[in-house]
Amino acid sequence: MEQYTYGKTLLKIDDVSLEYDGRPILKHVSAEIRDIVRPGCTQGQVVGFLGPSGIGKTQLFRIIAGLNKPTSGRVTVNGLDRPVEAGEVGVVAQDYPLFEHRTVMSNLLLAARQKEKDAKVARDKVIQHLTDFELIDKARLYPAQLSGGQRQRCAIIQQILCSEHFLLMDEPFSGLDLLMLEKTCELIQKVANMDELNTIIVVTHDVTAAASVADHVWLMGRDHDSKGTPLPGSHIVETYDLIERDLCWHPEIISQPRFMEFVREVKNRFRGL
Amino acid sequence: MNQAIEVLSPNRVISKQTVRWLVGLQLLMLFFVWFFSPTIFLPKPREVLQALSEMWMEGLGGELITSFYLNLQAIALSTVLSLLLAYLTVIPFFRPIVTLLSKLRFLSMVGLTFFFTLMATTGHELKLYLLVFSVSVFFVTGMAEVVASIPKEKFDLARTLRMGEWRVVYEVVVLGQAEKAFEVLRQNAAMGWMMLTMVEGISRSEGGVGAMLLNQNKHFHLSAVFAIQISILLLGLGQDYAIGLLRNLFCPYADLKLERK
Repeated sequence: MEQYTYGKTLLKIDDVSLEYDGRPILKHVSAEIRDIVRPGCTQGQVVGFLGPSGIGKTQLFRIIAGLNKPTSGRVTVNGLDRPVEAGEVGVVAQDYPLFEHRTVMSNLLLAARQKEKDAKVARDKVIQHLTDFELIDKARLYPAQLSGGQRQRCAIIQQILCSEHFLLMDEPFSGLDLLMLEKTCELIQKVANMDELNTIIVVTHDVTAAASVADHVWLMGRDHDSKGTPLPGSHIVETYDLIERDLCWHPEIISQPRFMEFVREVKNRFRGL
Repeated sequence: MNQAIEVLSPNRVISKQTVRWLVGLQLLMLFFVWFFSPTIFLPKPREVLQALSEMWMEGLGGELITSFYLNLQAIALSTVLSLLLAYLTVIPFFRPIVTLLSKLRFLSMVGLTFFFTLMATTGHELKLYLLVFSVSVFFVTGMAEVVASIPKEKFDLARTLRMGEWRVVYEVVVLGQAEKAFEVLRQNAAMGWMMLTMVEGISRSEGGVGAMLLNQNKHFHLSAVFAIQISILLLGLGQDYAIGLLRNLFCPYADLKLERK
């Protein structure tokens, strides 16, 4: 098993509840992400966030991003003693929104300048990212002229340039063929490992893809009464530590029987939610 | 043969050359119908050309300039006013006011003349006020609808990039909807010409092509009426083309996603 330790808490969901018209949507959701420290390498954090449709994933997603406020509880980042604010956690939505009226370069410069006041430094950062993500030749194009994959990378760069090492990705594997799915998994790993503090939360239905990139998996669901009827209000019912199970950081892990066994276990739990 | 099938099939994208052929052919058909139409109420092209020449000698050019200047002034003022009001709908306080203004488009211009006459000091001012009002109530309706239909994701994107709410408005509502604003402007600038004849009929002190048209209409000079209408049409087409050019210049991204560019 790989050597690792846990460092400081990077993101904390602290007893978050959400109600709409007195109807509980989220109930006492608590979870945290800590810095994973591996000797001799830069190791970011990736959390797979799973749950059935309509369970409240999007609501929690928006609260973590600072776009919505919970009814009670709070989400904090980087140990700050205040709720997260919009912009501190980057969001890559499912259809990779970009400003259609700006070129790729302009979209990224806009994001970079929000955090970096020095124009030259911001521009250098953008060019570096465009080069790293093989988009430098697309800098002058408009988003409408990009392919799906290029658009995804552009949306990711835009958010990394602006956020504080956090990235929420909504269904990044949705509708992808096998090749693109592998590429997206590689991209997530690449972004996570660009900085020790980089933290990615991947919201998805795809258990296999989530387990193949994540070091932890959160499973969201509802409790049931004695008759098996779901009780209102969701929370994280299970957290799987894939490092402890020696199921991450191995390039060929998805072809191994123990990985498949883990996926089966999660799927069975998923069906019971 | 294949091209004939293409132009008659739904959702086909045809080449620019085919479009030119199609336009030429349809114009030819139109002229053919015009030339050989048996109806006596439709003046023949030769009569219209003759009337155009006579009207030109009587000062049609000058009247067109007068009307064009008035329309341009009205469009400029309506654009500023309507865009401002539509953008203000991002503030809840202004939404009922803008909704009320948009409902005023059902009012008749004739019924408003007295009110605007009291406000105006010259005939030109009266016409300008009437036109600005008439165009703005439609312009603001269209533009407020554009603002209201911006998807939530666009606002979220700006917020996740640490933009304050005013910056969000500038980026998402003003810049992000610029190409749609040009489209709304295009439609309303055309409506300005439609209303111009009515307005110039209400106050004839300055003349204008509308007053000229009403005079010819009153005396059933159909050839002259057609000649004036064609002049207005050509001027309107030029105006439409110019707004289209501005849109393409400022919003080159606007048509990139369209099937028919």
